[in-house]
Amino acid sequence: MKKHLGKIVALGLAAVLAVAALAACGGGSASSKSASAAAGSTGGTLTFGCQSYTDGIVDPLNDTNSGWNAMRYGVTEALFKFDDQMNVEPWLAESCDISDDHKTWTIKLKDGVKFSNGTDMTASAVAASLQRTIDEGDNGTATPEKYLEKAAKITADDAKNTITIVTETAYPDLRKNLAYPTMAIVDTKGTTDYTRGVIGTGPYAIDKYTDKVGYTMKANANYRDTVPFAGVEILFLGDATAKANALKGGQVMVTENVATASDLNALKDDSAYNVDVANGVRCGFSYVNFDGVLKNDALRQAVMMAIDGQTVADVTVGGLYTYGYSVLPSNLDYNYDKLTYKYKYDKEAAKKLLDDAGIKDTDGDGIRELDGQPIKLEWITYENRGLADMAQAGQQQLKEIGIDANVNVGDSESEWNKMVNGEYDLCSSNWTTVGTGDPTEYLANWNGGNKANYCNYSNAKFDEAYTKLLTEFDDQKRKELITTMQQCLLDDAAVLVHGYYNSSMISNASQIANAPIHTADYYWINTEITPAA
Amino acid sequence: MEKKQNFFAKNKTFTIFGILGIIVILVAIFAPVVTGGIDPTTGVLTDALKAPSSDHIFGTDKLGRDVFARVIYGARTSLVAAFCVVAAAFTIGTVLGVLAGYFGKVVDAIIMRVADMMIAFPGMILAIAVAGIMGASIQNAVIAISLVTWPKYARLARSLVLKIRDRDYVAAAIVTGSKTPYMLLRYMLPSAITTLVITAATDIGSMMLELAALSFLGFGAVPPTPEWGLMLSEGRAYMTAAPWLMIFPGIAIFVVVTIFNMLGDSLRDILDPRQE
Repeated sequence: MKKHLGKIVALGLAAVLAVAALAACGGGSASSKSASAAAGSTGGTLTFGCQSYTDGIVDPLNDTNSGWNAMRYGVTEALFKFDDQMNVEPWLAESCDISDDHKTWTIKLKDGVKFSNGTDMTASAVAASLQRTIDEGDNGTATPEKYLEKAAKITADDAKNTITIVTETAYPDLRKNLAYPTMAIVDTKGTTDYTRGVIGTGPYAIDKYTDKVGYTMKANANYRDTVPFAGVEILFLGDATAKANALKGGQVMVTENVATASDLNALKDDSAYNVDVANGVRCGFSYVNFDGVLKNDALRQAVMMAIDGQTVADVTVGGLYTYGYSVLPSNLDYNYDKLTYKYKYDKEAAKKLLDDAGIKDTDGDGIRELDGQPIKLEWITYENRGLADMAQAGQQQLKEIGIDANVNVGDSESEWNKMVNGEYDLCSSNWTTVGTGDPTEYLANWNGGNKANYCNYSNAKFDEAYTKLLTEFDDQKRKELITTMQQCLLDDAAVLVHGYYNSSMISNASQIANAPIHTADYYWINTEITPAA
Repeated sequence: MEKKQNFFAKNKTFTIFGILGIIVILVAIFAPVVTGGIDPTTGVLTDALKAPSSDHIFGTDKLGRDVFARVIYGARTSLVAAFCVVAAAFTIGTVLGVLAGYFGKVVDAIIMRVADMMIAFPGMILAIAVAGIMGASIQNAVIAISLVTWPKYARLARSLVLKIRDRDYVAAAIVTGSKTPYMLLRYMLPSAITTLVITAATDIGSMMLELAALSFLGFGAVPPTPEWGLMLSEGRAYMTAAPWLMIFPGIAIFVVVTIFNMLGDSLRDILDPRQE
């Protein structure tokens, strides 16, 4: 009997193991089904797939991406936010009084706002958060002093629920700076782990972080409004194809920015998915190095005319970009329609221009020579938002007018280093133009003598307008100055603009009723994402 | 002449794949004729991602370039690079292996420990590291793969040399005054060369695959070079929308690698004495 008992126990164990194994295999699909069923009705869990920037860190002071992460995940909010025309509107603030000298900003806060841990967001708490931002900004690379100077004096009046910020420098519009994700309001008393568990006022609060996988979030029970989901699973996904596949495979309900045209267009054509596209504020452009062969006016103008930007935007990258020739997106209110551009796509005119300038192919190898040297442009870029494809299309079109180009596709860091060191002729990037609702900082990239000017462009008229812009507070006059600066760049053929990147938010139509994307790239997960009825 | 006919009749596999191999090489050499003068690096942007049709029998890629032309020109890149890798690894490996086997002692220890070091790493990973450090280009990919492949030849050559190193006739040759270079060339090399040639022949296919893999990962050929691995990589993003971008370079790699593998195998059958 003992012998048999041993066998029976062994068999029993084997059976348990087998059942357990089967259950484990089946478990994933069963639970995901129940999760999606729940999400379809009320609350449930939203699964959200997104790229992990800076490892998903959520401390707004760690670096620029981290502040973006916290706001994108729906954890933090700021005093102000941007609408889809990049105008600033109150968020945690109720209103703002501006002194005539633009140095005293009195901000009335919304009543009854609480942090996700239940602590009241008092005026003192807001002041403490902003104070931390300017005091501890040096511990990270987010450079909050770009948005609010270190010398700023922040005082709180809890009785009136207002904070007052007094600055030494006059800011054209500090509200826009305070809307930037780095300036998000966090609970400085309650937060113990800024890196993975910052406490904000957003609709969702961080519950758990799983290394390299993502965040588990729960609805903020103290939120001032209804929160549509009981929880959110944020899953980090590597590339556009992974995002598209995760959406199709049911692992995620919503994902952001599928940046390969073919994947995105396939999702657009499929009625099972909703694709929301917003004209973003990112401009895809190639910086032109004026310290290299492209300082030659005719050559630079011919390069601009050789490239069919419209076709590249519409066909090569399948509409990821909306074509335009100015450095500021055409959908923003900066007089795009009043600008004139002389170097629109015209291949034959480009050839003639080069011929007239004596830049000809004398040795019959198909490549023109300048000062006896065959022209070979160094075109650096990286794999991001179709940039490499656009550079390759440009390379192909330049060859048609007899200009050789070497497209060097690296990573963003090596591109940045080469750009800083001037080791390029064309440098394709994709930059936010009006990150704080204003293009001043972006336009500094072409301001002569500015340390952010890595292309050695210099134009007295541009610089004069830039200097005026720094101290001009009148919106209409600012717009005129910005228009002048854009026109300078166009007249000098100073930038090869590829177009304006369109952000996208893609959701499963049967599970999600609404998942909008906004012009400003900072708002992904919020109360606007709602489950399907 | 009769003897030659017999040879080809007797070795049908070798003959068939030999002819196919020559056809592949001829296609590579006469690529401009085969493609009818279409440039593989130019295209019309508005013709991007066109499905195979009478205008473009293999379709077009994202920049409107003719995929057929790129596949045909790709044979040039792949063949030249694969032959270079095999030739380099064969030469370096054989020379070092014969030297190590013949001289033994310190020379042997140094050469073989270096070879062991190279073998200690997974080949592809080391090749990626080498190509990564030197920068992406087809030349660097050739160098990288040669660097990780030569120890195989060195070990083989060394063991073959060791097999005969202590034979009496070798000792006799030395005693009768044969100089070292003569010993190496007349006695050592011939004993190893057959096996090494067989190895080299069977390696051509796998080297092509490794080169394609490096290019696929972005460590080999750079755009706009027509290269099969790179074409697969470029087509990957369009796998569902434009499958021909992956199908045709994939078929090209499959066919050419098969031909050279079969050719190598049949050559081994002919040369390997154990088969007789």
